[in-house]
Amino acid sequence: MIKVRIPTPLRPLTKGQGEVETKAASVLEMIEALNTAHPGMKDRLCDDTGELRRFVNIYVNEEDIRFLKGKETSLKDGDEVSIVPAIAGGTSCHM
Amino acid sequence: MVAHARELDPYECCGLLAGTNGVVSHLYRIKNIVALEGAEKLSSFDPAKVAHLERLSPAERAEIAFVMDMQDFSVAKKDIRNKGLELQVVYHSHPHDPARPSTTDIKIATDYEEIWPKINLPIPAYLLISLMEKSKPDIRGYWITEGMVTQAHITTLA
Repeated sequence: MIKVRIPTPLRPLTKGQGEVETKAASVLEMIEALNTAHPGMKDRLCDDTGELRRFVNIYVNEEDIRFLKGKETSLKDGDEVSIVPAIAGGTSCHM
Repeated sequence: MVAHARELDPYECCGLLAGTNGVVSHLYRIKNIVALEGAEKLSSFDPAKVAHLERLSPAERAEIAFVMDMQDFSVAKKDIRNKGLELQVVYHSHPHDPARPSTTDIKIATDYEEIWPKINLPIPAYLLISLMEKSKPDIRGYWITEGMVTQAHITTLA
């Protein structure tokens, strides 16, 4: 099984779970599996062409998949994947 | 950093500072992609902020918020590691507001506390650049832990 860390903004899709387990042999398979278990997940991670959105990073055992083989990066039993949302902020005076 | 903030004024700029032994030696500009469709949904903004951002034009969004381009972030993170540096600061500008963290800044920094160690980075200080007085930018640093904000001590070296 692959352990996937879910960041706060995506937890509404996982019923609040910060960590889920899934079976997958690649990052692409993992995204599909997550989307089956938690519909809407793929749309938050990938754009219409299937590319990873620029406001999210996926790390496999602390290495960014952009420096591995992207979505083709293979996964093996026991791997830990972190979905990391963009660092962000904003002024609140205009709320 | 001030030059970056001024270049992007009235939009918010963002970036990273890295160095060794608590001394900053490198600056990494990161693109603010808050105007990209859907960016606000994956950035820990609270629902009220998301609703507010969705009502604004892309240009208006960039005046009151920032979302880091994580592709830029990854390239910077790799360079920091390759050069043997440490990430020390996450900075952003407030073009129209004081140099103190907003409730949104504090919430997102608090959410991020658990993420830093998982991506092998230390928890950074947060630096804010206010351009309320255009000729006299106000720069202040903060530590944000467990939702609490304390001022960070900054010294400018000649």
